[in-house]
Amino acid sequence: MSASTDILSQVHRLPAFPASAARLAGLLQDERAGAPEVEKVIRPDPALTANLLRIAASAYFSPRSRPETVRQAVTLLGVKRTFEVATGAALASMLPAKLPGYNIEARAFWLHCVAVAVFAEKLAKESASRSPDLLFTAGLLHDVGKLVISTFVMRQSGSILLKARQGMDFSDAEREVLGVDHAEVGAHVALSWHLPESVAWAARWHHRPAETPKNVDRALVDLVHAADALAISLGLGCDSGELARTVDPQAWQRLGLRVQRMELVASEGLQAVKELAAALGEVGNSK
Amino acid sequence: MSNITVEISDLKVSACQDDLLVTYALGSCIAVIVHDPVKKVGGMIHYMLPLSEIAPEKAQDKPAMFADTGIPELFRSMYGMGCDKKNLVVKVAGGGALYDDKGLFNIGKRNYTVLRKMFWKAGVIIAAEDVGGAKSRTARLWVGTGKCTIACQGEEVEL
Repeated sequence: MSASTDILSQVHRLPAFPASAARLAGLLQDERAGAPEVEKVIRPDPALTANLLRIAASAYFSPRSRPETVRQAVTLLGVKRTFEVATGAALASMLPAKLPGYNIEARAFWLHCVAVAVFAEKLAKESASRSPDLLFTAGLLHDVGKLVISTFVMRQSGSILLKARQGMDFSDAEREVLGVDHAEVGAHVALSWHLPESVAWAARWHHRPAETPKNVDRALVDLVHAADALAISLGLGCDSGELARTVDPQAWQRLGLRVQRMELVASEGLQAVKELAAALGEVGNSK
Repeated sequence: MSNITVEISDLKVSACQDDLLVTYALGSCIAVIVHDPVKKVGGMIHYMLPLSEIAPEKAQDKPAMFADTGIPELFRSMYGMGCDKKNLVVKVAGGGALYDDKGLFNIGKRNYTVLRKMFWKAGVIIAAEDVGGAKSRTARLWVGTGKCTIACQGEEVEL
């Protein structure tokens, strides 16, 4: 069995995605689904109910009011946003204490995930592109493949780090040494959890936006790529790869982003990232 | 001894001889590390962006987010502890960059350029620095001794 096949075969060993979050993903496809249907999925799940209410009360998701019931939260946020919050809560609760291959602890990894989600949404507002659907979730889950590939990266960390420090993009180094990178593994994870395909494709191409296939939402991939670069550059959730990541100038051009606007996103987003990471982080610890 | 963490967009000053100031994950951000060996006072800032003109309100609330508002604040805090400018030992770390041929993501370089201009105008000499590269750094300053280290890529060396 090749290394990459071995790694991909581990995807199904991850814990299953919580059933209620998966059912919400199903409701996203159903245009007739409204607050009552969403409420029916959430209410029987006490952990999700508590998490939804706490996160929905954060300044980022509802700056003006604090929902007190599931129905209020769902009505306020809408089906899509409720799904995004539920996905965040579910992922936070599944993180291991540490990702050894990346020498990063759960708290820092989570800070990075949240930073990419928040920055991607803020960059979308500053860019020439429209804001794609499920951008927050795509940002949050872009590195989910690291949960699977981490132990394999650890075994080969000497070779991978050597290449990265000699100037190679870290995910290219993973691919050269292991035959597969965390981005490709991430897409497999997202699909195995029955998450929307766009989330899987954003994970798959976030380090290689130039190779994004035509049938994939390119703006979504570009925004996750740019937000990831910004978060890494600012040291939000830094791992053993440090700053060894390539920036794709064409993704940048397509988005029409200017340096000053990006700096504005960083200055405005930092507080939201910290608050949201803490709110969602409690979710992981409360179980 | 207490470890005092300097978060991103924050600054800390201490005259407690047992204190250790530390800041983690300096990517394109920059740490300015200041020590007065006479008064035995240490200070550190971890700023994120070069110029506050992009968000003046944010700079009022969090001056340490920007070089042009945060660095003067750091020096004022040192003077407030009785330090004399001529005694200050100033070190700089961070300002890293992604692999970015076109320089689109040049926050680190801009952070460093603004700092150099400010120091040149104010007549501040940099005693030692470790900047640039695709690196993430952790900076430490022992207030009592002025010892300063940079940890990066699995190694920690004195600056």
